[in-house]
Amino acid sequence: MILLCGIPSESPLAMVADRLDAEGIDYRILNQRQVGNYSISWQIEGGIVDGTLSLGRETYRLKDINSVYVRLMDDRLLPELKQEPDGSSARRHARSFHEALYRWLEIAPGRIVNRSDPQGSNGSKPYQAQLILKYGFRVPETIITNDPELVLAFQREHGTLIYKSISGIRSIVKALDEDDLGRLEDIRWCPVQFQALVPGNDVRVHVVDREVFPTEIVSDKVDYRYASRNGGSAELRAIELAPDIAEQCVALTRGLGLAFAGIDLKITPDGEIFCFEVNPCPAFSFYEANTEQPIARAVARYLNNSS
Amino acid sequence: MAAVWAADRLRDRGLIIETLTGAELATTIRWDHRIGRSGIILELDLADGRRFSRKDSAGVLNRLSYLPSAWVQRVGSPDRDYALQEMYAFFLSWLHSLPGPLLNPPVPQGLCGNWRHPSAWTFLACQAGLPVQIYRQSSEDDPNSLWQFAAVPAAATVFVVADQVIVPPELPFQLAEPCRLLAIAAGTPLLGIDFTFDENDGWRFGGASVMPDLIRGGDPLLDAMATAFAT
Repeated sequence: MILLCGIPSESPLAMVADRLDAEGIDYRILNQRQVGNYSISWQIEGGIVDGTLSLGRETYRLKDINSVYVRLMDDRLLPELKQEPDGSSARRHARSFHEALYRWLEIAPGRIVNRSDPQGSNGSKPYQAQLILKYGFRVPETIITNDPELVLAFQREHGTLIYKSISGIRSIVKALDEDDLGRLEDIRWCPVQFQALVPGNDVRVHVVDREVFPTEIVSDKVDYRYASRNGGSAELRAIELAPDIAEQCVALTRGLGLAFAGIDLKITPDGEIFCFEVNPCPAFSFYEANTEQPIARAVARYLNNSS
Repeated sequence: MAAVWAADRLRDRGLIIETLTGAELATTIRWDHRIGRSGIILELDLADGRRFSRKDSAGVLNRLSYLPSAWVQRVGSPDRDYALQEMYAFFLSWLHSLPGPLLNPPVPQGLCGNWRHPSAWTFLACQAGLPVQIYRQSSEDDPNSLWQFAAVPAAATVFVVADQVIVPPELPFQLAEPCRLLAIAAGTPLLGIDFTFDENDGWRFGGASVMPDLIRGGDPLLDAMATAFAT
């Protein structure tokens, strides 16, 4: 059985569900918003992980769940719990349910897209960059420092710099400008990450097991994700990657312990390929909606081929 | 404290040891960490005048379980949570960049190794062939209480250091290989593996720590660490 976990109306989850429907593949949805009606119980005994999951009136053996697509949101922020005071029974149940679910997902046999631990590398961009280097990609020239003089020297060496968060906290990538230089002393209290600006077009590569879906993004802004908000534009189109680069993307995804990933590349005008980061829980719907690349279908088929 | 104890005794074994405490790291006045075409750089200037560079390191006994508390205490709101995540991500990167044997390498789930949930340790121990008790979890349980193994105190601890396994005399030596396999599966070359004893069930896996009590391991543990750093 295939289990989809999250909010059913959330685009990536909805698109995978639609594809499963279209292909006549049976599945169940664990709708977080109905957590009050759910329960889970499992054990590790004799090396076997098994138990039961009750979704409302239906109860399933965990050993019958062969694959799971995980798009869970932070259960503490569920709309159904908004009016609940801290420590209420509803909040305690939601927390306990999700904790038991997460712990089972980490050790459950079968295809889990994706488990939690392998997603961790995205929590530190320079850490992940060191892992990316092992798979043959170049990464942007990067400095993390609390010394303004080093930043200025780095700028003299590499030209235009951008800065962004070190951690997985989403931040808008910005070019270092005169205003920023005027407050550079602020970095003394906490190191900041600066990178040499890499010219060229962004390419988001979605990898599903061995399938690769590259999307080129042509934008007039440093961070195309926020182009329209900042008065710019971003155009997306499906492209082909050279076979060796596609294979590198597959190897990188596997090497990080992921079945599904969104890899951010940049291809320079002279053909050099830089890898910026690997997103372990990609919101692929934006790319599929703009290019019609069959990413959801690949996820659905991957989930279905687990038994 | 255990790290200082170990440093002194590793010096006695002829190793050149530099200690960097959390309190000293909290006073770092200059960080320089680079990743790029020319490789990886890490240099830090401490308040006491010392300069530490990754190229001077031939191995690390890493006992940083989290960010230095002296630094954490200095960070105020409103950006406190953001700053802590940024600094954690930074520590993860520079610690990972250190060459030589790393006991233990940092991972996103812990700066000195993965602080696994007891369910994950039990599963790995089972896979490694260790005798384990049945583990149960449900949506009726308080998640916080599950972060600890059963209250039965450890009766004996096996230490794994790289490929070396130190089994105390009260434990059957047959546990050595499954313990070694557990450390490999866990990605933690230095691992303390606790065992409990029960008249009916005998010796059973009782938990594992990526930051074991080094003093409890005594001279055999120090000898093993010295060997690991020498190879």
